[in-house]
Amino acid sequence: MANLAALQSILQGFVSSTPDVQGAAVVTPDGLPLASLLPPGMDEERTSAMSAAMLSLGERIGREFARGNVERIFVQGEKGYGVLTSCGSEAVLLTLASHEVKQGLLFLEIKRVSEKLASALV
Amino acid sequence: MAISPEALLTALIARTNFSPADREVLKANQDWGAQLAPTMSDHFYAYLDRDPEMAAVIAKHNRQRLGETFIAWFKEMFTGMDDWGSQYAQRRWKIGIVHVRIGIGPQHVVPAMATVVLEVGQQIREQGKPEDLRTALAKVCMMDLSFIEQAYLESAYRAVQQETGMSEALFKRLIATGIS
Repeated sequence: MANLAALQSILQGFVSSTPDVQGAAVVTPDGLPLASLLPPGMDEERTSAMSAAMLSLGERIGREFARGNVERIFVQGEKGYGVLTSCGSEAVLLTLASHEVKQGLLFLEIKRVSEKLASALV
Repeated sequence: MAISPEALLTALIARTNFSPADREVLKANQDWGAQLAPTMSDHFYAYLDRDPEMAAVIAKHNRQRLGETFIAWFKEMFTGMDDWGSQYAQRRWKIGIVHVRIGIGPQHVVPAMATVVLEVGQQIREQGKPEDLRTALAKVCMMDLSFIEQAYLESAYRAVQQETGMSEALFKRLIATGIS
């Protein structure tokens, strides 16, 4: 069974130690929130459902377009980025970052934190 | 389908309290039902002809065949086919899917079924048939209507799940979180 306190702690460390990361959430593939640290005003339930839906659809599109396994879904808006990645088969990680973030560093940190989260979910 | 046709029928029988007495009164009047079926079909399609949207859908299909299908459906409400068992459930599910396929939605089906219920009720009164028959037929009509509604829902779920890869739980969660 997932250790929710551990998930929350990992997210806390990720958001506070990675420059320009504004929030993160770990959700189940069915869209249920497991742990989150989201900017004020964001609805946790809705964000979780949308995150799972988007990753699911992205993976489906990846297969349809014969692009192989999807590493991440990357949303680029004028105010920043939203990145969705799988944490194994048990969870989805959403990361929100500002426009100023260095993308290479962001992806590296997401990869590291995803591995930590996947371990905590076992 | 998230719920099997048989399970759906069982649930509907319980929810409408479709009793052994209801089955008996329907079966006892199946000859009357068979006799009435062509009149009901004419009444039903005359109603649909007055609705421009429905008339456009109907125009794309063979009118005689549609009439025969209605007559068969109407008769089956009296016989229950296999005593409202698996065969009946499968047939009702198939009817629901056909409605989805040809684009007849709940906004069309519900008033059309109301027309059937009202007209058959009037025929029962005019021909001095027992009130129990009207009640039993109304229950069967509502069960059949539920099958068509459920077919719509299930078909939409299935299509979205197939195209997006979403689980049923996620799809339902999106609907719940999206309703404000």
